[in-house]
Amino acid sequence: MVRTKRMALFVLTCVMLTSMVMSGCGSSSKDSNDSASKGGGTVTLKMIESLTSPERTEVLKKMLGEFEQQNPGIKVELISPPLQNADTKIATMLAAKEDLDVLEVRDITAKQFVTNKFIEDLKAYTSKWENYKTLNDSAKMSANYIDNTPYYIPYGLYQKILFYRKDFFDAKGLTPPATWQEVYEKGKALTDPAQNRYGYAYRGGAGGDNFTLMITQAFNADQINPDDSMFLKDGKTIFSTPESKQAMDLFTKIYQEASPKDSTNWAFSETVESFVSGVTAMLINDPDVIAVTKEKMKEGTWATAPIPLGPTGKAPRFVGAAGWGMTSYSKHKEEAWKLIEFLSNPDQNLVFAKAVGLIPIHTTAAEDEFFKKGAYQPFIDMNSKSDQYFMMRDATDYKGYGESKKIAVEDNQALILNQRSVDDVLKNWDKYWTDQKANQKK
Amino acid sequence: MKNTVKARKPVSSQSKFIFFCLLPAILMVGMFTFYPFFRGIGMAFQNYTLFDLTDIHFIGLDNFKTIFEQPQFLQALSNSFYWVFVSLIFQFVIGFILALLLKKPFKGRGVYQGFIFYSWAMSGFLIGIIWRWMLNGQIGVINDLLLKVGLIEERIGFLSDPKWSLASVIVANVWYGIAFFAIMLLAALQSIPDDLYESAGIDGANWFHKLFYVTIPYIMPTIIASTLLRVIWIFNFPDIIYAMTNGGPAGSTHILATYMMDKIMFGGDYGQAGAAGVIMIILLAMYTIFYLTATKSGKGADF
Repeated sequence: MVRTKRMALFVLTCVMLTSMVMSGCGSSSKDSNDSASKGGGTVTLKMIESLTSPERTEVLKKMLGEFEQQNPGIKVELISPPLQNADTKIATMLAAKEDLDVLEVRDITAKQFVTNKFIEDLKAYTSKWENYKTLNDSAKMSANYIDNTPYYIPYGLYQKILFYRKDFFDAKGLTPPATWQEVYEKGKALTDPAQNRYGYAYRGGAGGDNFTLMITQAFNADQINPDDSMFLKDGKTIFSTPESKQAMDLFTKIYQEASPKDSTNWAFSETVESFVSGVTAMLINDPDVIAVTKEKMKEGTWATAPIPLGPTGKAPRFVGAAGWGMTSYSKHKEEAWKLIEFLSNPDQNLVFAKAVGLIPIHTTAAEDEFFKKGAYQPFIDMNSKSDQYFMMRDATDYKGYGESKKIAVEDNQALILNQRSVDDVLKNWDKYWTDQKANQKK
Repeated sequence: MKNTVKARKPVSSQSKFIFFCLLPAILMVGMFTFYPFFRGIGMAFQNYTLFDLTDIHFIGLDNFKTIFEQPQFLQALSNSFYWVFVSLIFQFVIGFILALLLKKPFKGRGVYQGFIFYSWAMSGFLIGIIWRWMLNGQIGVINDLLLKVGLIEERIGFLSDPKWSLASVIVANVWYGIAFFAIMLLAALQSIPDDLYESAGIDGANWFHKLFYVTIPYIMPTIIASTLLRVIWIFNFPDIIYAMTNGGPAGSTHILATYMMDKIMFGGDYGQAGAAGVIMIILLAMYTIFYLTATKSGKGADF
């Protein structure tokens, strides 16, 4: 008896001590930060980034150094978690109300951060910001995507373009494809397994959901509800139409007849590697690949073109964005905005966009020579033809968005491996999104 | 009364001392092992998603129902079985053979041992990435070698063909785990006294008899402990699969551990991931109890 009692007491003590230590950690760090900011006169901002890479962090640190020089009263502490799981880490830190003032918000995390009241509405600041007017359409749309409220200022835009092997195309007397049908036909003409050469770098693995969506949207074009990219104007899902079936049939043929067999499970690095090494002749990807192709391929062997159109003569613009926002519980909101404003001004944004390989957010950047010619040309072309390349954004404001990406990849793999039929897969996606809509209204 | 109090005093101060010595370790283990463990079990019964943390509530067994209705979960369950036992058998057999070969001293044994144990020193993710490129269907070195030797005429999509993918990740895992058994079994083999073999030889035992009547019974406790541990480790080991195939193609290489990770990375659904974790705990607990009961008789031979 005595022994069990003592055990119980002991366990209780442990639990109490543990909780004391844990809560102690939290509060003490907050206190220390408070006293520092009030006493010393300098404010320390804590900032966290998400899409990290060693090169990008270096660029960012240089920019922060400049900011500190211009604002002697403010110091910035940058946290750079490894890319994998960075967003999960940020969400966990926010949930625990850890000290953070400025954070990287992505289009795919914005809704979650807003729902959980992690991030601040920036309207009070943007209304007074002189450079807000020069933000381009894509940047403005991305910033205001959730509830028509600016929750973050993008630092750049990701937008898909087509990379192609100019030398392969020239050798066969082909021109770059303008439509998905041509991607199939020309891809097939370029395919020669004996030489280990294929037409298209098919992305069957992680991230492949972007491409099934891109082609279905291109085929459905005007029927889609522009404010709700997974649904048609009549309220049904985009996967319910005969056009979607045609799109997925064509896309399956592109895999089966014009792509390496192995590409069922290819993700970013495999597709880029296959293109750079000359195994595949076409690749659709983001502008950050331009840096890789420039470095690894001879000039003149590759070029870029706008993304392929559907039979409608249209295609989604497929813009992604990420940017800087501030936490709702920040104690230094004025200073945090100063930093966001600094990072988002036209000069700094141009530096960042060039270094990382992004499309800048200000209209003034279109006059910069760097973006006017060569590989970046298609972006300018696509963005100036907004009737042909319509705006479309991922359905990130649905709870099941993250999981839908996984389901899209797995079902599509089963489809191209002939394990499941097109009808079956489309029915599954249709049901998934119908359920999402029904649950959202609740 | 007085006497008993006096007698107990030194004991209690001693136990206090022990308690305070243990305290840091207990706190650490409590904070980093038991707190997350119980929290995770709690989440399994909650609606707990990263998408909306303002709406966390108890939902009973709904998470379990949801995942049991998913064909991917059932496939992950059966894959886990193959993943664990096929990996284990090959790791054990090859590791045991290597340990037997390394037992006899020969020139350069130390260096050779170093090479064999090398794989155990690498991180699972690194191994996964290396094998992923080696097995790549287009530019992988393994396909290239097989083509040059003339064993195949067309490249095999080791990681892209569902017929091959599970076997491919198991091969990588076998390669990784051989070293563990080689190390453990070699240490055990070196503890067998030579006179046992001598007397067995006098009794007319051949090589085969010596192996099955002396060597294996003598190292039985090590075999039991190491296989038990290894099963648990392999079962909980998502690194290689995560880096090589991420569960694909079409879910054909998911095991429970990677399935659980997927739930968090894509869905941000801690509730369902917690439910998968609870199922894993139950399976492992059942396995451990069964295994220890079944091998009770083999508590080392009686010499």
